[in-house]
Amino acid sequence: MTFWPFRGILGKAVLLLAGGFAEAVLGPLPLALGGPTECSVPDELMQIDEKLPHLAERLHANEPVKIVVIGGASTTGLAAGSSDLAYPHRLQEILARWYPSVPIAVANRGVPRQTAQQMLERFPTDVIPEDPVLVIWETGTTDAVRGVGVDEFASTLQTGIDDLKARGIDIMLVDMQFSHSTVTVIDFERYLNALHRVGDVNDVNVFPRFGMMRYWSEQNVFNFDGVAKDERADLAAKVYDCIAKKLAETIRIALW
Amino acid sequence: MPAAQSRDLRLDFFRGIALIFIFVDHIPENIFSYFTIQAVQFYDAAEVFIFISGYTAALVYGRTLALQGPSYATARIISRAWQLYVAHIFLFVIFVAEVSYTVRTFNNPMYNDEMRVGDFLEEPHLAIVKALLLEFQPTFLDILPLYIILLVIFPIVLLGLQLQPMLVLVPSFLLYVLVQILGISVPAYPEGHVWYFNPLAWQFLFIAGAALGLGRLRETRWARFERAVLPAAAIVLGVGFLVKLSWTIHGVWDPFPGLFLRELWPVSKNNLSLTRLIPFFAMLAIVAAIVSPDVAFLRSPLTKPLVLCGQQSLEIFCLGILLSALGHFVISEYSASFVTQFFVNLFGIMGMCLTAKMIDWYKTIGRAVLNTNQAEFISGDRDGR
Repeated sequence: MTFWPFRGILGKAVLLLAGGFAEAVLGPLPLALGGPTECSVPDELMQIDEKLPHLAERLHANEPVKIVVIGGASTTGLAAGSSDLAYPHRLQEILARWYPSVPIAVANRGVPRQTAQQMLERFPTDVIPEDPVLVIWETGTTDAVRGVGVDEFASTLQTGIDDLKARGIDIMLVDMQFSHSTVTVIDFERYLNALHRVGDVNDVNVFPRFGMMRYWSEQNVFNFDGVAKDERADLAAKVYDCIAKKLAETIRIALW
Repeated sequence: MPAAQSRDLRLDFFRGIALIFIFVDHIPENIFSYFTIQAVQFYDAAEVFIFISGYTAALVYGRTLALQGPSYATARIISRAWQLYVAHIFLFVIFVAEVSYTVRTFNNPMYNDEMRVGDFLEEPHLAIVKALLLEFQPTFLDILPLYIILLVIFPIVLLGLQLQPMLVLVPSFLLYVLVQILGISVPAYPEGHVWYFNPLAWQFLFIAGAALGLGRLRETRWARFERAVLPAAAIVLGVGFLVKLSWTIHGVWDPFPGLFLRELWPVSKNNLSLTRLIPFFAMLAIVAAIVSPDVAFLRSPLTKPLVLCGQQSLEIFCLGILLSALGHFVISEYSASFVTQFFVNLFGIMGMCLTAKMIDWYKTIGRAVLNTNQAEFISGDRDGR
């Protein structure tokens, strides 16, 4: 399990130092050798340590798979204009293509502006009755925005993870979205650290959405901060699509 | 604050370091925060700052109490608390300016729920009143409210300590223990939130500092006690160092194991968990034993800037908070490269040190002017002392 923020910044510092040095010696480097395809991220953001045994078992036995995504506004996908463009739905489409012999359904249980605690309270109604084999829990944004106690946030996550584990459900956590503008006014760091550490101590994968979006922003793959009004929905759809692709790849790696 | 003849420069020096560390640690994802105390110990600069603040408060106001009596000492403490309050509101206004500006100029629906920022822009009328009541504490504006509350109760604490230290220390400790057991917290705004620094827990550290600062505990049986305590303290400090360092390395490089991570984490800062408090006191015992007040390095020109920062703690603290917000802005807007980070930290620390020097210069001249003018004041202004 990666404890993202520290690794990211230190690795980046080393890269930048090395890059700066190379640039000084060799002149400007050709931008991203080979040209990055949209959605690509550095390997360190795709390092997956934990397995999803229950999901693997189901797929192996060709039994129907139910995945529930519980999260906030970015899970609902409303910014893209339709829940069909949200990452949970796109994830379902990708997984269906990869595992055509297995019926796979991904349920979207996103509700905007909820803290981890409020999401946890929805488990008995929105998550458990669906009988999922994997729960993807996208959380932390509202907690950081509202300044919920970090300890409290961590212990809420712990309660949720314990509950799902006791029911034999696989878990993945998804961290916050990134943009330059939001990180100047919201302190995500403490919450990112807590989220990643909870994953770490519980052997649960944390999908580093924040790190990925920051990478895309820095590589100018996407510009989250200065986008024209009529292009905003399109941008959201593209980003959700990339998130879904990366999530699907993560799941595939975590299966075997 | 007028410098006493035998001012203990250790307090200023370590508080100066704490202020620099607070600045460095408050810049999110700052590489240099690997070189502050929190990377290798369970406690951080906040403990050092609050403890020394309690200690010096007892020194300074204890003297006022002895010389001018309880009424004047109380008035002086309250006037200091008022200063802190005004400083806090000033920082709050700057925070609001930054947030409002960013939110108004940034409108991407992907982030709409994130940009609400603690409901502030939804109900500014409430948020401002709650800020005035110290109930609304945006990120990093949370340590001054604690300090203000601690000063407001300080006149009673000081009188109690003067009378019989145990009369204050025992209830203070019991309250701390109660918080640890029951998890009591102080509500804040918006609803459901709590004070980041729980004053019911942190008061113990401040009051313990004050009790030691007043000196009535120190001389008695400490010397005999010291021999027994120091080895234990060294062990606690050493183990704390290894464990926390392993966590820090584990955070950077996953394969390295975080020792006792599953057992000990999370360590509550809000409630000043014992996992933080015990190593802090261990460090305190060792530093007090090793670093004597008249050790030469405290008077060297190299440490002078830190000592000055520690002496002008309120101004430098506020400046540090502002500079870390500014530094974060530069790093996230401009570049997060090592070079940028290096200069952000360097300029920040230099800014703090130079400002401390300037304030010191201003106050020294002010005192000199006051002294030369005193003759004119004495005849008309004195009231019988």
